[in-house]
Amino acid sequence: MMTISSALQSEVFLTYAIIIGGILGFAGLMIVILKAMGKNVSSVWNTYRGWLVMIPIVLGTILLGRTAMIVGVALLAIFGFKEYARATGLYDDWWITGLVYFGIILLGIASYVTDPRLDYPGWYGLFMALPTYVVGAILLVPIFRNRAQGQLQRVALAIVGFVYFGWMFSHLGFLANTEYAYGYILYLIFAVEINDIAAFTCGKIFGKHKLRENISPNKTIEGAVGAIVISLGVPWLLWFSFPHFEPWHLVVTGLIVGVGGQLGDLVISYIKRDIGIKDMGVMIKGHGGILDRVDSMIFVAPIFFHVIRWIHGIREVPVS
Amino acid sequence: MTEWEYNPPPDIDETMSEHLRNFPRQPHMFMYALRSVAALLLRGWMRIYHRLRIEGRGNLPKTGSFILVCNHTSHLDTLCMLCSVPLKRIHRTFPAAAADYFFSSLPRSAISAILINALPFERKLKGAESLAVCGELLKNEGNVLIIFPEGTRTTSGEMGRFRSGIGRLVVGTDLPVLPCYLDGGLKAWPKGKIIPWPFMLNLRIGVPRQYAHLDKSSESVRKICQDLQESVAELGRKRT
Repeated sequence: MMTISSALQSEVFLTYAIIIGGILGFAGLMIVILKAMGKNVSSVWNTYRGWLVMIPIVLGTILLGRTAMIVGVALLAIFGFKEYARATGLYDDWWITGLVYFGIILLGIASYVTDPRLDYPGWYGLFMALPTYVVGAILLVPIFRNRAQGQLQRVALAIVGFVYFGWMFSHLGFLANTEYAYGYILYLIFAVEINDIAAFTCGKIFGKHKLRENISPNKTIEGAVGAIVISLGVPWLLWFSFPHFEPWHLVVTGLIVGVGGQLGDLVISYIKRDIGIKDMGVMIKGHGGILDRVDSMIFVAPIFFHVIRWIHGIREVPVS
Repeated sequence: MTEWEYNPPPDIDETMSEHLRNFPRQPHMFMYALRSVAALLLRGWMRIYHRLRIEGRGNLPKTGSFILVCNHTSHLDTLCMLCSVPLKRIHRTFPAAAADYFFSSLPRSAISAILINALPFERKLKGAESLAVCGELLKNEGNVLIIFPEGTRTTSGEMGRFRSGIGRLVVGTDLPVLPCYLDGGLKAWPKGKIIPWPFMLNLRIGVPRQYAHLDKSSESVRKICQDLQESVAELGRKRT
C-alpha cells in the first residue's frame, strides 16, 4: 500500500528520487556552463523551469500515497478533458460536460474504494464497467432534451473524451492499488518522458524522412526508431522497479512505452490539427496544456496496465 | 460526409492569470459554481451579520439590461448591490471595479473575477476604453452593470462629485439607470479597516431613470450626472 512511510522505506521510490534529482541537477549544471560559454539558453531554460515545477509536484503526489495519486490522476483527467472540451466547443454544452466530469469522478471513486467481494483496495470490476454506464448516460442526454439537431456530434465528442481522457488515463491512478505501485508508476512516468525526449533528440540529430507529414510535420521515422531503441533499453536499467519480471517482460514493457508513447503523441496531434489549434490550452505560458504534457501517458498507461495484468495479475494487496 | 465544425473559444491561449484579468471573460463551469455558492453565503452573511435591508427591490427591471449607481463609502457597497439582484442574474451582474486596485495581483484578480464577477475598469489611463467595454456589455440583453460614479470611496461621508463617465455611457440611450443609496457602510467598514463591524446596513433602490431624450453633448452629460447625484442624495435623505 502506498503511504508516506512506505514511500520513504521503498528503495524503488528513493532510487527514482535520486536518479531524477541527479538528472535535474546535471541538466541545471549544463545550462549554467552553456550560459557561461555565452550560448543562448533562454528556450532551454524555460523548459527546464517547467520541469523544476512539475517534477516536485509529481514526486510529492507519489510520496503522499495512494489517495493523493488517485485524486491527482482524476484531477488531471478532469482538467485534461476540460481542455479538449473547450477546444472542440463541446464545453458550451454544460450538461454533457458535467456528466463527463461526474463520470471521471466515479472512476476516481472506483479506483479508491475497496472491492466489496474481494477485499482488495480498488474496485476493479466497477472501474471496468463504468464506461458502459457513463456512455449510456451520455447517449440519453438528447432523449431527455427531446432534441436531435447536432446531438450526435456532442455525444460522440463526449464519448471519445470520457473513454480516452477519462477512463484510459485513469488506469494510471488504478496502478496505485498494485503491489509494485512505486515501480510501475515511477517507471511509466520516467520511461514515457525519456521516450519523448529520445524521439525529439534522435529526430533532431538523424531526422530525414517524415513520419506522418499531415499530422505532425516535425516527427521523423529516424526519431521514432531511435526512441523505440532507447525505450527498449530503459527497462533493463530500471529492472529493480519490477524484480519479478522475466527478460521478455522487459522487452514487452519497453515496446509498449516506445511505440505507445509516440502513438499517443500522434493522437493528440491529429485532434489538434483537425480542430486547427496549436496547443490544447495553457498551463504555464509557452508550455502548452495538460493534454500536450500527458499525451503519451494516456495511450501507454492502460495498455501497460492490462498487459501487466495479463502476464502477472495486478497482485492486489488484501486490506490488512 | 460533411465536416464537423469546432468552435475553440478565443481565450484558449490564455493562462489562468490572463483569463482572470481580461474582459469579457468566457463562462467557466467551476467559476459559475463557486460564484453561485459565494453569492448564497454572501446573502446569508449580509442578512445575519449586518441585518441588511433592501428597499425598492421592485424597481429592478425584470428584463433587459440596466445600470445601478450608488454612493461609495466602503467595499460593502458592492456586496450589498450584489445581494439586491436576483440570484439567477448573478453571473450577468458586473460591478465596475478599479483595475489598479482589484486586479493588481493574482489573488485579488481571482477574488474579483470569480466571486464578485468584477469588470476591470481602468480609471486612470484608459477610461474611455473601459467605458466602451461597458457600453458593449450593456448592448447584450440582460446584463447588469454596477457603477460608483464617485470613482473612489469617500472617507468623510460627504458624497463626492459624480464623474462624467456614467453620463457619457447612457446619454441618448434608453438604458434604465437606477439610483441607489447604501446607509451605514461608512460606519461598518471605513477605508483602511481590515474587517467590517456588525453595523446595520440599509440599501434603498430608487425608480429607474432614462435619458433617451437627451442629445449627445457635454451639456447633457453634465445634466445626467447632476440628476443622478441628486437622486442618490435624495434617497440618502429619506430616513426610514
